[in-house]
Amino acid sequence: MTALNRTWGHLTLTGKVVIPLLFLVLVVGPIVTIFFATVVGPWLADLLGANLEIVRFVVAIGGILLFSIPAAFIIIYMELKVIAFMNLRIGPDRVGPKGAAHSLVAGLKVLTKEDFSPTGVDHVVFTWAPVIVFLTAVMTFLVIPFGPGLVGQDFNIGLLYMFAVGGMAVVGLLLAGWSSSNKYSLLGGLRAAAQMVSYEIPLTLSVVGLILLAGTMSLNRIAEAQAGWFTDWFVFRQPLGALIFFIAATAEANRTPFDMAEADSEIVAGFATEYSGMRFGFLFFAEYVNVFIISALLTTLFFGAWNAPIDINAILAAFGLSPITVSLDPGSLGVGLLIALLVVPVILTLIFAAPFYLTKSSRPAWQALVLGFLVVTLVGIALIGLLGYIGLPWLGGLIWFMLKSFLFVYVFVWMRGTFPRVRIDQLMGFAWKWLLPVSLLNLFVTAAAILIVKS
Amino acid sequence: MTTSEKPHQHPSLDDPRVMLDDQIGQFEAVPPYPPRTEREAEFYSLRDGEMFVNMGPQHPSTHGVLRVVLKINGEQVVDLDPVLGYLHRGVEKLCENSDYHHIISQIDPLEYVSSLFMEWAPVMAFEKLLDVEVPRRAEYIRVLTGELLRVSSHILYQGWMALDLGGLAPILYSFIERDEIVEMLAAITGQRMLFNYFRIGGVNGDLNHEFMSRLGDWMSRAAKQHEANIGLLNENEIFVRRMRDIGRLDGATALRMGASGPNLRAAGVPFDVRRAHPYSVYPELEFDIPTRGGNGGGDSLDRYLLRLDEVSQSIRIIDQCLHNMPDGPIMARLPRLLRPRPGRAWAAVEAPRGLFGTYVISDGTDQPFRMKIHDPSFVHLQLVGLLMKNNLLADTMAVMASLDPVMGGIDK
Repeated sequence: MTALNRTWGHLTLTGKVVIPLLFLVLVVGPIVTIFFATVVGPWLADLLGANLEIVRFVVAIGGILLFSIPAAFIIIYMELKVIAFMNLRIGPDRVGPKGAAHSLVAGLKVLTKEDFSPTGVDHVVFTWAPVIVFLTAVMTFLVIPFGPGLVGQDFNIGLLYMFAVGGMAVVGLLLAGWSSSNKYSLLGGLRAAAQMVSYEIPLTLSVVGLILLAGTMSLNRIAEAQAGWFTDWFVFRQPLGALIFFIAATAEANRTPFDMAEADSEIVAGFATEYSGMRFGFLFFAEYVNVFIISALLTTLFFGAWNAPIDINAILAAFGLSPITVSLDPGSLGVGLLIALLVVPVILTLIFAAPFYLTKSSRPAWQALVLGFLVVTLVGIALIGLLGYIGLPWLGGLIWFMLKSFLFVYVFVWMRGTFPRVRIDQLMGFAWKWLLPVSLLNLFVTAAAILIVKS
Repeated sequence: MTTSEKPHQHPSLDDPRVMLDDQIGQFEAVPPYPPRTEREAEFYSLRDGEMFVNMGPQHPSTHGVLRVVLKINGEQVVDLDPVLGYLHRGVEKLCENSDYHHIISQIDPLEYVSSLFMEWAPVMAFEKLLDVEVPRRAEYIRVLTGELLRVSSHILYQGWMALDLGGLAPILYSFIERDEIVEMLAAITGQRMLFNYFRIGGVNGDLNHEFMSRLGDWMSRAAKQHEANIGLLNENEIFVRRMRDIGRLDGATALRMGASGPNLRAAGVPFDVRRAHPYSVYPELEFDIPTRGGNGGGDSLDRYLLRLDEVSQSIRIIDQCLHNMPDGPIMARLPRLLRPRPGRAWAAVEAPRGLFGTYVISDGTDQPFRMKIHDPSFVHLQLVGLLMKNNLLADTMAVMASLDPVMGGIDK
């Protein structure tokens, strides 16, 4: 034992950490793996197979949680950079290329900060309010169709679920405002409650006309109903509804010019005044997740969801061509596939390297080869992308969906960069005196039009 | 000191300095002494549904360290009580203990946004006491630099106005203009903010090449840039609706409360010290006195628009100064140690925020016996109680920002 002790004593700190880890990996790892593969694995597979719906749900939840964080990071970075551009500033440029990792570092900073709760707060409510706000924001991701078949849960009442869960965020904001034991927070929470309850009504009414047209509340079906050319998008059949939805959704997400709840020049930071650390981070993330959600919803409901604006198959049919399909079965090539994968890139690299080498005599051969390899890689990526776009409908749908959604995110950021804030009475007056009657009018006109067309 | 009371340790819960949950109500905006006046007793008693909100001294939009105790009922401001003194330096007393040359740098940081005007009034008062004839070139340089600073102050006002109403962009556009002007002035004064440039009997330095080339560049685009800056907000529906009919002030009330400058002219009274009590070379220059408001008085939007009108007039004056600039000395010949005759002198200038005046009593020594400073921001702060009452909480910002107070001048 003494020899072992002495050896252990001679190890550096790194060694003391690494050697037990090595032991764990080499000895315990295989045992656990074998145990799982033989005993737990089949049992788990049976269990999962029997409850596929639940598994799908859990995976979807995990997926949207994983997706919401980078989405929020991207929007935060976008907001910093776009507003900086509009203000003739540079914006964040220290971390990562062009400051791209800035919001990531800001997120880490929020995690490492002291989670301070002031004297006099209602600790339980104070702690859970940001969680409610964040969860309601993330939960609405569940029904958004990101692409054909790429939806967490295809509820037949998807839209209703969306509004129901999204409307719950106001509870979190109200709790945050009340429990903070701060008058600015209280005012912010009350403002948020008044505003969100008021705008919930025109927001919901504005899509009823659309529901009548589409005949369904499933977001997936609504997306499918807009297939074809961009003229089939609901924005051209419900322009008023789209406008009301846009305005009301801005107010729902507490964005400028309706950011009454956190009006920094009036009530400091509203319901978030007393928050710090990750609890503030939750409120902050929820805001940006909300921005993405209203953009995604706007895209799904009115701007064709994952459908491309141009119907390529219709163009091809006009020229008498059949639709492009990809029927690639790599397995049928047999050994040929292996040879092709090994040989073709090499030959292509040489072919693409040749012009670089021949056109400039001072260029060494290895540089030409590297350039050729880069060109081959780019061509390969483009080809695989094209194949994926044609062959995998969900990939093309996802690309279009993200493009459109982030276009609307840009619009919201743009609005934040340019508009002043409205006053609370103007805000409420606008909702009740203008948006509500106009959305009712939109509903009646749509219903009447449907009746006339049907009869 | 026992070991348990080490200074670096956090205080325990038994420590009387730690606030306990049931003590929270004691730390309200209410002052810790019994009310001293009837007004205080009335203000610091709450009716049903009312509460105090302590806005400032650390609040994003009170323009420095002003503290306003608001009594609100929901979003409605029922009453308010401005509390001053967080930036008090005792400038008047400092001036009475400095000799006449040093006073210029003591009084500079009063209104840090437009500090040349703070130098101008006392310098004029001292010149009256000393019977000094200021060279014409020095007078022209004073008008030129002063009007440049007026432009910068009004443009900055535009940005702050937008920022207080929640618009983030205009302040950065304002700062581009201000920075150019400030750099320009730094070329002849050596400072960016507190210039310390005017002297008794003239100015400290002559115009130099860098100043003239920067000024030429700026003048070539100033009017156009001003139009562009106006376009940023003036046609914004949200902005106009936030400002219209908020804090309406009629001419009679404005005069009664002692308002001056843009706030008075926006109430429809065409009073401008540059025309009413001409000083320096202003009688030789052509410019209009824009007014707004008319019979009903001016609201926040009028006060905002009037300052934009004044920028155009200031650019006109700068243009004339450049064309009429005479040659000659920039300082009158004066002894190093100034001992003016015993007597009194009052001098007032039209600062960007209104009439800025100094009243000096000399007892024949090298320090003034008494120096009274009349600051326009301080006078305009009286209007806050009048204009903010019965508005919404959000309107307090629109009113406060439109009056354009600077705390350095208010607290002196």
